[in-house]
Amino acid sequence: MTFLDPLINGLSLGSLYALIAVGYTVVYGIVQLINFAHGEIFMVGAFGALSTWIVLGQASANLSWWMLPLMLVGGMVVGVTVAVLMERFAYRPLRHAPRLAPLITAIGISVFLQEFVRLFYGAIPGFPDAKAAVVFPQIEFFTGPAIEFGGAVIQRATFFTLGALAVSWAFLWFFVNKTKIGRAMLATSQDPDTARLMGIDVNRIITIAFAVGAALAAIAGTAHGLRYGNIDFKMGFLAGLKAFTAAVLGGIGNINGAVVGGLVLGVVESLATVYVPGQFGGAAWKDVWAFVLLIIVLVFRPQGIMGAKVVDRA
Amino acid sequence: MTASATTRQRAYNVERIVGLVGGLIFAVSAFFPWAYGHEALDDMAYFGSPSPLQWFAVVMALALINCLAASLLEPTLNNSTGFLKLLGRISKRFGWIRGARALAIGMLAYAVLAILAVALELNGLVNLEMGAWVALVGAGIAFGSSMMLPTGRAPFLERIPSYPVLEIATIALLLMGMLFASAYALSQEDGGTFLMVLVFIGALAGFAIGSGFGSWVATAGRRHRTVLVSSAFLVAFLFPFTQNGSDANMSIATQVLIFAATAVGLNIVVGLAGLLDLGYIAFLGAGAFTAAVLSESAFATINWHPPFIVVMLLSGCISATLGLIIGSPTLRVSGDYLAIVTLAFGEIFRITMNNLDGSSGPNLVHGSSGIPAIPNLNFFGFDFGQSHVVAGIELGRFANYFFLMLVIMSIIILVFTRLNHSRIGRGWVAIREDERAAEAMGVNVFGLKLLAFAGGAFLAGFAGAVKAHVDVSVVPDQYVFLESAFLLAAIVLGGMGTVMGVLLGATLLKLVPEKLRFMSDYRMLIFGLLMVVMMRFRPEGIIPNQRRALEFHVDDEELVEDVEERLPYEFVEFEEVPA
Repeated sequence: MTFLDPLINGLSLGSLYALIAVGYTVVYGIVQLINFAHGEIFMVGAFGALSTWIVLGQASANLSWWMLPLMLVGGMVVGVTVAVLMERFAYRPLRHAPRLAPLITAIGISVFLQEFVRLFYGAIPGFPDAKAAVVFPQIEFFTGPAIEFGGAVIQRATFFTLGALAVSWAFLWFFVNKTKIGRAMLATSQDPDTARLMGIDVNRIITIAFAVGAALAAIAGTAHGLRYGNIDFKMGFLAGLKAFTAAVLGGIGNINGAVVGGLVLGVVESLATVYVPGQFGGAAWKDVWAFVLLIIVLVFRPQGIMGAKVVDRA
Repeated sequence: MTASATTRQRAYNVERIVGLVGGLIFAVSAFFPWAYGHEALDDMAYFGSPSPLQWFAVVMALALINCLAASLLEPTLNNSTGFLKLLGRISKRFGWIRGARALAIGMLAYAVLAILAVALELNGLVNLEMGAWVALVGAGIAFGSSMMLPTGRAPFLERIPSYPVLEIATIALLLMGMLFASAYALSQEDGGTFLMVLVFIGALAGFAIGSGFGSWVATAGRRHRTVLVSSAFLVAFLFPFTQNGSDANMSIATQVLIFAATAVGLNIVVGLAGLLDLGYIAFLGAGAFTAAVLSESAFATINWHPPFIVVMLLSGCISATLGLIIGSPTLRVSGDYLAIVTLAFGEIFRITMNNLDGSSGPNLVHGSSGIPAIPNLNFFGFDFGQSHVVAGIELGRFANYFFLMLVIMSIIILVFTRLNHSRIGRGWVAIREDERAAEAMGVNVFGLKLLAFAGGAFLAGFAGAVKAHVDVSVVPDQYVFLESAFLLAAIVLGGMGTVMGVLLGATLLKLVPEKLRFMSDYRMLIFGLLMVVMMRFRPEGIIPNQRRALEFHVDDEELVEDVEERLPYEFVEFEEVPA
């Protein structure tokens, strides 16, 4: 095994974290709300992509490459719908409530979405029972034989994940900096009251922020399905927690920070699995190391790697 | 009086009379059979002989009739003389319409629930007899008319002069009633019956609060605090004696107490200091594992078995140390970070315990299989595993642990209330409400936060040590995030910052799923939805701390006045001094 293998594996894992982390960061940047239920959007998105394939491709066992864009769109539609509904009916009424209230709501939503998928996904005719892990279709072009590249073995799903992150990042940069809505988002995150005075519909901007985050989380959900070959209703919890760690690591509220934080976290986790010696190494401890990293960052650099201002909110 | 006011008055009288008729119909329906079969609920198939559940319907209907009749007769009574005039003046202090509304809602829920339960248990709506439909119609009429009535004034029963004997007698009677009600509710094997008893109790509680009787009792409770606390403790103490040696309900009751004790501990952290701790279950787990490892189980890995008192203190100290380790870096940054770091800490704890199995780490707790066969406690020859006969009533294993937990519970409640009313408690409230203002006023923000965090962890460790022995085995997967969320839900549901609320929330959250096994699959779904709905419509919980409720409803001026009136000190508004 070379040094490259765990590094590339870590980058692949990290781009998953990064895609989810962007959702935390975008919403936090605008409403200073930690949307704990964001991990479930990732899960719901993956199930949306799976459903799209079941409806369109399962009958003909269609695993051609062009199924993937359709699945991505399906996942995004489901993820965005859930996120927008969640914002509208659960978070918006609590916008001026004490900070504890939305956090508890988020836990409630999280449990609700998990249970909803667990109990009712299999009840739809033709859909598999979601009480245990569900097999995710392996689109041949993206999950075929691994590629040897300069001494390292790279899974094809890795290319897809990294590519998805790169494209999303570029799209996000363009969206935030060059479009009218993106600039309205920037304005709202800097000063919501003034933004409103300037004619920006703040509620709409907040909804868009949730939607953008959800779309990226749905991409991550699909990528997760391709990478691991199956999805389950519980996968949002740990992924969401890790992605939040990544967002804090990079500096919450900062989109570039979320991407960098995700990649760093993935690489650290992957390297820790290989290089931490003795009994405390190996896959069993990798989650522990990720969370220890979170605590260390909070002690020494609470504003994160890329965060500029000191986070000081009660 | 103008003409329009008179007509309005008359119109409301019509609604009162319609509501009365609805109540009568509901009461009469109880004497008709509700279900075709004997298996549904508690056998409502007889004509002219109501089952207990149908008697409850009669009680609700009579209370409603009482409310509406009193509000109807009140003007007449006030215009008469002598005794009737006195009655009118007493009646004026009640919030009859509010009480009637709560009852009507309860009746409607009761009738709908009965119909659903019968239909489910006997397979199909055909098994409903006329009585059930009549009850539904009666409840519907009562509900509709009570909703059309104006709410009327707020009750002000608590301002009548104090009659100590009457008050103490009421407190004692109420608590006795609670003892029998809980024993009765617990003895219901049928899930539907249990739910209906809960609705009945809820409707009566709503009636008491709405009509003003509740606030009178609350004032009486404040006046005779010692009586209230000691009789509540006595009632809890007597509870095992109502179970006739059956350990099934005692096992639930003991689990409820452990859960409630942990929740009260968490309430110090969340309710008083306002720190959201999402990994609290890990502290309970740390206590349980410490006790398990030091117990005389054959699987214990440390060959040192000190007496249980020492083990308990040690468990508390280890949990508190973990709390300090986690708290000291995170309490300096924002509250959201604390929430997520504690969540991460809960995961670290669970994974670490799973890994301490000899292959991924040193063998301390046998990994995911945990430590089984933890022996029962033995205090100076008193074996907790044995049944004991006291006054002719057999008390089983769980009853023994119930008594132990009762003692621990009272210690935790004592700590909670004393802290709440101390300088430290006021410091916590100040931090919760505005950290910067508190700091500016000289409150040691970081120190107090750390104290709350470590103190809460200590109490959880305490409870965990007992839990290890009650549960017989300690397994890492008992201490997952969902359990932390449950603890938090108990606090949110019951009311943040109050002991009574948390006790109620913990009891509901542990008891209802135990009794409703037929819907256990949907338990978590309902739980998640409940959290969202609670936060949306009643974020302060069922029995809120008033200062806390104020934080959620800043614009409610009535509440502001109410809270200010009850404060032990007065707000002084400073006049501007001319220069």
